[in-house]
Formats: sequence, C-alpha cells, structure tokens
Amino acid sequence: MSTNRQRPTGRSLLMVWVVAAVVLGVLLLIAQLTRGPLDDPDQAYQRPGILDLAVLPEPAAPVTADIPQPGRPAIVFFDRFATLPALCHALPDTGLGADADLVIVTPAADIGCGAIPVVEDPDGRLADAYGMRAPAAGGPPVGYAVIDAQSRIRYRTLDPTVTAELSEVRTMLEAL
Amino acid sequence: MRDTIRALRVCLWCLLFVVMEVGLYLSYCGHDARFHYLTHFFVGAATALMVMSIVAVGRRRPVPYPLVWLGAAHLVAMFPDFLFTAGTAHYWWMDLFLGHISTHFVPGRNLTWYLVFLATLGLYLLVLSRLPDRSRAAGPG
Repeated sequence: MSTNRQRPTGRSLLMVWVVAAVVLGVLLLIAQLTRGPLDDPDQAYQRPGILDLAVLPEPAAPVTADIPQPGRPAIVFFDRFATLPALCHALPDTGLGADADLVIVTPAADIGCGAIPVVEDPDGRLADAYGMRAPAAGGPPVGYAVIDAQSRIRYRTLDPTVTAELSEVRTMLEAL
Repeated sequence: MRDTIRALRVCLWCLLFVVMEVGLYLSYCGHDARFHYLTHFFVGAATALMVMSIVAVGRRRPVPYPLVWLGAAHLVAMFPDFLFTAGTAHYWWMDLFLGHISTHFVPGRNLTWYLVFLATLGLYLLVLSRLPDRSRAAGPG
C-alpha cells in the first residue's frame, strides 16, 4: 500500500460498511429463503459431520428383528415415497452394504428396495425413537442415522439430498 | 505509472478474493450448505478484522492487502471442510480452526455472526479513520 495515500474519508468508509452489510445481509437472507421444506429448521443440526453431537450416543431402537445387531454397524435411512426409488438405485453402488447393515424407514412401505429392507413407519414412531428432527415443513424426516457396533446411535441428521451425498454417509460410517 | 501499477496490483488481489469467495460460495451451495459457508466466512472475517485493527493501530497505518487477510482467515475457518470433502469426519479438536464446530451453535446462529462481523468491520474502519494522514506527513508532491 502507498505510504502517502490520502486517508479515506468518513463517508467512503461508511459506504464500505453499508455495502458489506447489504451484500452479506442479502446472502444471509438467501440462505434463509432457499431452505427447503425437508431441511432442518435449525441448519446447525443439518449434516454437522461430527459424531456424538449433543445427547448422543444413545441406544438404538430395533428397526427389524436383526437391525441393529451387536458387532455390526448399521445405517438407518429415513425417506419418503417420492425419493425412495432414487435412493434405492444409488445405494448398491456405494458398497455401504458391505460394511454396515442398511435399512430404509418410510411412512408407507409398499415399495421394495432390492436386498435392502424397507420398514413402514406410518405414525413416525421409529423416527421419534431415533430422535430425528422434524423438517421445516413438518411431516416425516428425510435423512439417516449411523449406528455403531454396540447398537448406539452415534450420528443423525436430516438430509434431503442424501442420495447425492452418500459419500458423506461413508465418511460418518468410517468415523465410528 | 507507479500508481497505476500499484492500483492494478491491489485490484488483482481484490479480484482474486472475489473469485475465491464466489467459488467457495458456489461450492457450498452445490452441497446445500450455504449456512456453513456463511458461518465460516463471518467468523474468519471477523477474526481477521480484529487482528487487522490491532496491527493497524500498532503500525499506525492500514494493513496491506486487507482482503487477503479476510480470505486467508476464511480459509483457516473452513479448513476442516476440505478434510471432510476428502473423507475425514469432523472432530471437536477442529475447533482449533477458529471454532469450526462450536461456532455453528451460538445463540442466534448466523445472524449473531453477521452482527459480530459488522461490528468488527466498523471497528477496523474506525481505526482507519483515526490513523495519521500520511499524505500530509509526506508533504506536498
């Protein structure tokens, strides 16, 4: 910087502050307005990427007769009917099933998902048992919970884009 | 001529900063993570502005390339997200990177950090306005 540059005027400094306030305020507003109906109303809890947040770990309720089972991690996906086919299509390519038991919980289970069990949860009891947070627009959650080999919930999050972010599920599984 | 070259050099840093921030913002948007981008930007920039204010008062002149300070601090604050993208989950020790984990959970969330950022920006600009006028110190010409 020049050593003999004129000192900026108070007016120009105020303009810098106002422009920064407006631009970043707009970005803040956009972040609020673009929140989807399936997103967590408190974004701090959506995909935090860290195990054992807040009250976790907690015991994991049984989803099927053998999931979760001691000695083997599990991933419990919570999904809705409309997005379930995409998740079912994407999951086999991830190899997640080799390292953990996979199960999908939906409000209505009149759809198959290959070898992955689909469990019906019409009244949301399983979602509640897993402490899944309610989406911004209410209704059943879309997200997942990661269960360790001691059958404890170590991670849970709403994630409406989970099908596109399955590498994150792998990251959290490997963090156990 | 020297002034022009200096101005262009400064603008180049401005341009690099803007390109980097737009790139980072779009990258976070692509992962549906605008919230996280803003937290780390506000925290990084506010920290940088605090340090810049102290340095400017100590040196009695503005810090060089102020946007570089902001960009660098932002990169430090978001560094664990690079690790996450590479497959490493977050851990509490990552708070070493300007509170990478904890800063998400302050009351008021990003609105709080926005106000903190504006306060620190105001502080730095106030410091600038109180620094000695070097054009007078250097004399005419």
